[in-house]
Formats: sequence, C-alpha cells, structure tokens
Amino acid sequence: MSESLEGTFSAEHSARLLRNYRYAVERTMRALGGWIALTPELSAKLLMGRHVWDLAQHCDAFGQRLPELRSHAQVSEAANPAIVALMDAIEDAEAPDQTVERLVGVYAVLKPHLLATYRDHLAHANPVYEPPTRRILTRCIDDEERHIAAGETILKYLAAGPRVIERVSARRRHLEGLLAAAGGVTGAGLPTRSAAEVAATPVELSDDARQFIRLEQATGAWPIPADLDKAQDAFADALVLGDDAALSRLLVPGLALDVTVPALLRGASYSHHATVAFARLGHQRLVKTRLDGPAGSATVLARWISAADGWRIAALDVVGRDAVRPA
Amino acid sequence: MDRPIAYDKLAREDRFVRMRAREVAELKVAQGLPPFPDLSSRESIKERVHGIMVGELQAMEGAGRSVCDFPDAPWDFTMDMARQVWDESRHVEIYLRLLEHLDGYAGEYPETTILWRCACAEDAAARVAGVNRGLEGLACDVFNQLVHIARKIGDPILERSVDYVLADEITHVRMGSKWLTRLTEGDPERRRKAIEFQDSIDERFNLGGVRREGDHEAVSISIATDVRRMAGFTEEEIQRLIKTTQRSQVY
Repeated sequence: MSESLEGTFSAEHSARLLRNYRYAVERTMRALGGWIALTPELSAKLLMGRHVWDLAQHCDAFGQRLPELRSHAQVSEAANPAIVALMDAIEDAEAPDQTVERLVGVYAVLKPHLLATYRDHLAHANPVYEPPTRRILTRCIDDEERHIAAGETILKYLAAGPRVIERVSARRRHLEGLLAAAGGVTGAGLPTRSAAEVAATPVELSDDARQFIRLEQATGAWPIPADLDKAQDAFADALVLGDDAALSRLLVPGLALDVTVPALLRGASYSHHATVAFARLGHQRLVKTRLDGPAGSATVLARWISAADGWRIAALDVVGRDAVRPA
Repeated sequence: MDRPIAYDKLAREDRFVRMRAREVAELKVAQGLPPFPDLSSRESIKERVHGIMVGELQAMEGAGRSVCDFPDAPWDFTMDMARQVWDESRHVEIYLRLLEHLDGYAGEYPETTILWRCACAEDAAARVAGVNRGLEGLACDVFNQLVHIARKIGDPILERSVDYVLADEITHVRMGSKWLTRLTEGDPERRRKAIEFQDSIDERFNLGGVRREGDHEAVSISIATDVRRMAGFTEEEIQRLIKTTQRSQVY
C-alpha cells in the first residue's frame, strides 16, 4: 500500500476544527478591517488592508469545505469561552496610540499560533481522503508565513525604543497567557510544532512591508522656503516661550489672536517644537507645529500668506492636544 | 469594538492637514484660483492625484469598517467588502507612487473627509449606495478624465496606472449595484432612503458644476456614461445624474 489509510481525524472532528479556525480568522479579519481607520501609521494601515482579503478567503475556504464534511456552510464556532476572551482581548486595543498592541496581538501571538496549528493539522490530515482540507491548509500556511514576516517587519519599525519594546513584551505575555489558557484556537492545547522558523520568502504580491515603510517615510524634508522657515521658527519659539508680543508681530495686520489659542497653550509648558506637516493651499502654506513638554503636547496649525513684508499668519488653530505619536 | 465608530475617530499621522472641503474651496477662490484642481498644469495634476490618494485611503478605511460593522450581513457581502479593502490598499500604494512620480508627497495638500463621512452611514445599504455607487461612480468619471489627460500630455505611467485603478472602480460600483438591490429586497423604504442618500452625495460631489455631460475637451470632468453603464447604472440613473449636475452647487 503506497499511502496509509490510517487517519487521525473523523470527518466530524475535521469539520469542528475548521469551524474553530474560521471563528478566530473571521474575528481577526473583522478586527483588522475595523482597525484600519483607527490606526494613524500609513505602513500599518497598508499592512492590514492587504491582509483582510486573504483572511476573508481563508474563512470562505473553510466555510465552503464544511458542507463536504456534513456540516453547515460558512459557520464559525469558538472552541470554548476562553478563546472568545482571547479574541476580545486582542480586539480591545483600538485607541489610536495602540497600533503596536494591535499588531502584537495579531502578528506576534495569534498568527504564529494559527500557522503552527495549520502545520500540525496538515501533518496529521490523511493525504488520501483529506486532500481538499490539505489544499486549503497549504494555502493558509503560505499566506500566514507571508503575513507574519510582514507583520514582524512593521512591528520592528514601529516598536523602536525601550518603552515601546516593553509594551510589546507585556502585551505578548498577556495574550500568550490567554491563548494557553484557551488551549489554542481548537481548545485542544497548543501545537508542539513551532511556527518560529518562518522563512523570509520573496514577496511577489505587491505586499512587501518594506515598501510600506518606504512609502511612509518618503516625504523626506519639507520643501519650506527659507524665509518661511525662518518665520515659522520664530513663531514656534514664541509659542514655546509664551511670547505673545513676538507672536502678534507674525500675524497679518488686523488679525487678533483667537482667545482660545493662548489660553489653551498657557495651560501647559512646552520645551521644544517640531514642524510635523507642511501643505499647500494655493499660494498659501499650512504648517503644523507640534509642541512637546513634560505635561503633554499640543499641535498648532498656522495658515501662512506671503505679504510684501514677508510671511504672515492669516489663521491659527490648536488642532490637537496630546496628539498621537507614531508608536 | 465599537460598531460603527464616530466619524471623528479617523486616525491620521501628524503630517496630514485636515480641513473642511468648503473652506479649502473658498480659500482658493479668494486667491483667484479654481476651487478644484483643473488639470491644466503638472502642479494641478499633482494636486488632483493627492486628492485621489486621500480618497483611496478613506475608501480603504470605509470598506474596512463595512467588514467590521456588519457581521450579520450576508457572508458574500463581507467577501465583497474585504476584496474592496485589498483593492483600495493597492490603490493607495499606486497613488503614493504616482505622487512620487509627480515629485509630490503625502500631506502636500489638505485632506478633506467627505468620503469618510459618507462611509460612516449606519445602514449597510446606504453605505454601498453612497460610497460604491455615488463616490466610486464619481471616481469613474474623474479617473476616466485623468486617463484622457495623461494620454494627452504623454505620461504613460500615469495613464496605465489610473487605467487599472479605473477597472477596479467599475467592479466596486457593480458591487454597490448588486448589494443595494440585495440588501433592500422586500424593503422599499430602506431602498428609498439608500437611493436618497446616494442622490445627495451625487449632488454634493458635482464639484461646483465642474462635472458635466460632454466631451473631455469641452468639460472639466466628463460624466463617464459608458463606464457607468458597464458598472450597472441604468439609463434613467445616468440621466438623473446629468440633470443634477446642471443645477447643483457644491461645498
């Protein structure tokens, strides 16, 4: 006999595993879809945007296989309440400054576990009577390897600095504890095979995470004219120093400062500033300045016009307080 | 996770400047400039491309929300929305690269969020009517025009890239047509409201009368009637749209 007919799973058991996978994958897909709008960083947005469709196809393939295993089509089933708790915890990180937490949950905890689980299943699924399931698992493994590698790349980029690295570790420990308590997505315990040896495969589907990072960083230096740059520096210095007189000299004649602006800025002290956005509006220029200090930060938007005596501010607004920094 | 989210939760990097569309248009008119880029110069084309890039970004975010916000919708609806997320994420990348091609950068012009606001409609039928049929229909008109301009100025990179994106947009409009019908089957009131929402978007997005019926050479944005037919618009709908462009003022 060239192939063994011995099998590990009954058809019923195989269907249950697929429903369990589908539960975790469907919730991940919906979470990634929802998070795109809540995530500031372009590289992370593109990463999530690329993977939602792959996960939808995984769900669909699992769901279409189910009736072939005497189960209802397109049904997801949580293995136990603990896996529901894990998915709730993963979804929980939806604040704009929690991009790293979102990525850790999906790309450093859940997906490596799914990959190991799929590999384990594939190793035990009978090649004679389970080829349809094996084919699905092979595709999922291929995609998950690619996703994990891309997620790791973006995580390394965003999680620079000791404080963020500590956040990553804490988040990972917490979620891995929940995953172990659930016994994995199937509830049967964590697979013994490790997913750690994800190979860096060549990316041919236009979803190279390195390109996402490059596109996020592509802006380079702002093309600010030298005279505007000088005026902008004087403006930002005046904000930091709380120098209303210097500030007033930069306003167009007749423009009174909106009373709320100095009031808002005086609420906290700022030690340094940075230009974070530079946009064109016809002949005028919009410059966003971020002010940072021990008590927090504020972001101020100024609309500059070029006058006979140099650049002057025609409008000023505080557009953010404690605005999000890239994680 | 909150479902749906408030429209002001849309997250952006600091480098983007967000402004009301009306304010942007008014400030440009006050400087003696057209309210919307007229594609008459490379700078103007770059500004239009930036506007489209931001629109694609919001379209990706909106389709992502549709995947998230409607877990009880038919599974095929989720599949279509998930596919759209993938398409839009590729479009974002394409337009970011086109911006580089035009020596521009993300954040070079203010971002307006009308598209995103439409994508926050609470009803799935209204969302696909407004976004997939209204806004992606507008995208068909705009991209068709851009392909024409690119061909005219001899920019094959712009022409080819936008041509492929246009093909995807037609698919998205078709999805909108399909789901508007299927989600409102047996519920004429829901259908009426969804179509009303789409009509209101068509009116708001006629770009101050810039979008009109006519040849590419004669009008700034020509309503892409052939493309719209391909995408599932009826003759009656096309005629209704043409009529709205004759009376509407936007922003």
